[in-house]
This record gives sequence, C-alpha cells and structure tokens, in this order.
Amino acid sequence: MNRTELEHILKQLHRDAYIWARQCCQFDDELAKDMLQQSYLKILEGKAKLKDPKKAKTWLFSIIRYTIIDEYRKAGKVVPLEESYDPIDTIEEVDSTDYEGMIKKLPEMQREVIMAVFYHQMTIAESAEILQINVGTARTHYERGKKKLKELIQKSQLIEQNEK
Amino acid sequence: MKNDEMLHSFFSEMKKQDQQLEIPEFPEAKVKAINWWLPSGIAASFLVGCFWFFQLSQAPEAPAEVIIISLEQGENNEQQIIIEEKAFIDTWESTTSSLLTDF
Repeated sequence: MNRTELEHILKQLHRDAYIWARQCCQFDDELAKDMLQQSYLKILEGKAKLKDPKKAKTWLFSIIRYTIIDEYRKAGKVVPLEESYDPIDTIEEVDSTDYEGMIKKLPEMQREVIMAVFYHQMTIAESAEILQINVGTARTHYERGKKKLKELIQKSQLIEQNEK
Repeated sequence: MKNDEMLHSFFSEMKKQDQQLEIPEFPEAKVKAINWWLPSGIAASFLVGCFWFFQLSQAPEAPAEVIIISLEQGENNEQQIIIEEKAFIDTWESTTSSLLTDF
C-alpha cells in the first residue's frame, strides 16, 4: 500500500480516530491531538504497517491506544496492571448528561471495550484486537463495563427524580 | 436487552453531544523535499578538487628561453661573467664540462 492510499484511509477515519484518542486520553483534547499526530507519524514513517485494509479502523485504533499507553509510561503515569480491577464504588453525585464523567468512572479496560462496542459499533472480537487481549477477556470487560455503566446511569436518573 | 437499550440511548446522546466537538484538521503530510544545496556543494567541491589534482600532476613545461649566467676565469686570471641565451635548458652545456672528460 502506497503513501497516498494510506493517507486516504487515515483521512476517512480521522474523525473517529480523534474521538477514540480523546476517549483513551480521559477526554483530554490537547493530549488527544498530540497522540493522534504521533500515531499518524508512526504510520506514515512506516513504523506501523497495515496488512489488511479491511481492518484499517481496528489497526488505527490499536496504534492510537498503544501510543497513548507509551506516552503515559514516559510521563510516569501508572497504567492499571490488573485488567479486571474494579475500583471500590464511591458515592458521588452523577449528572445524567455528564456522559464523559460517567464513562470516566469505568475502569480503563472496561471503558475501552464499551466505547469500542457501543460508540464505535465494533464487535467484541474487534475490541479484543484493539486491546490485544483474547476475546474471552474482552467479553468479561464488556459485561462488567455494561453492568457498571447501567448502575451509574440508573443512579444518575434516581438522583434527578429525587431532585424533582 | 431492555437494559442495553438504556446504554444505546446513552451513547446516542453522547454522540449528539460530540457533534459539537471541534475536530482538528487532518495534518497534511509534508513531502520531504530534498535539499539540493548539500549534494550540489559536495559535487562542486569534488570537481574543484579533481581540477586542482590534475593541474598539479601535469609536468611544468620548460620555458621557451633560458638565460644562463656563468662565471669563468679569463686568460689573465681575471673573473668574467658570461651571459648566454638558450632555447632549452637541456641544451646547455657547462663551459667546464670538458674538464671531466678531456684530460
């Protein structure tokens, strides 16, 4: 695949790629822009190669995610080691329209699987490819993430109802 | 499934909100232009070097005319300076060279 074809694919996926980068960066716009730029550079310099153009989106999302993880490591930010780690629930007020706030409350892996499946319309298998984990593990994160997010939505709805 | 509808609706609202997001421009990749100054400079230096090398390696041509000044002793034992003009230096013969052979 030549550079022009690659650029064409990247342009087509640009919006989704930026949104995904933002989601992986805890919705930090500036960091997402930097990470996306770095990911494109990796690709255009040939450090990451696309073997199957049909899997371009999965491939790009995976590169973005790993670029962000690398950046966090360089910055000394701790990346959760326990894939199934579930933080203890804290009683916090959740605004039902604060979608990003609610998503942020999910553990990293659950958040990424949920975002890939529900937001980006990917399959669990594709999300597993992005996260470089097996499908079974991805399914576990998917189920737990769904459960946790539902609880948060319900909690926010209850708070809203009580306020009325 | 009913609960999944709750999630679908949540994400559909989130997407609506994301419509307001300012998406950065796709970075136009700059084609790396070759800086021709560097190779041109190297080539020019090489040519100048070659020119000088061949200039130096050529044997200098003998001058067309040579003035030979020699000091000789005259009949009355006086010193005299003889100035001769020759076409080439290799045709010049020392005035005392006979001493080396004719004795």
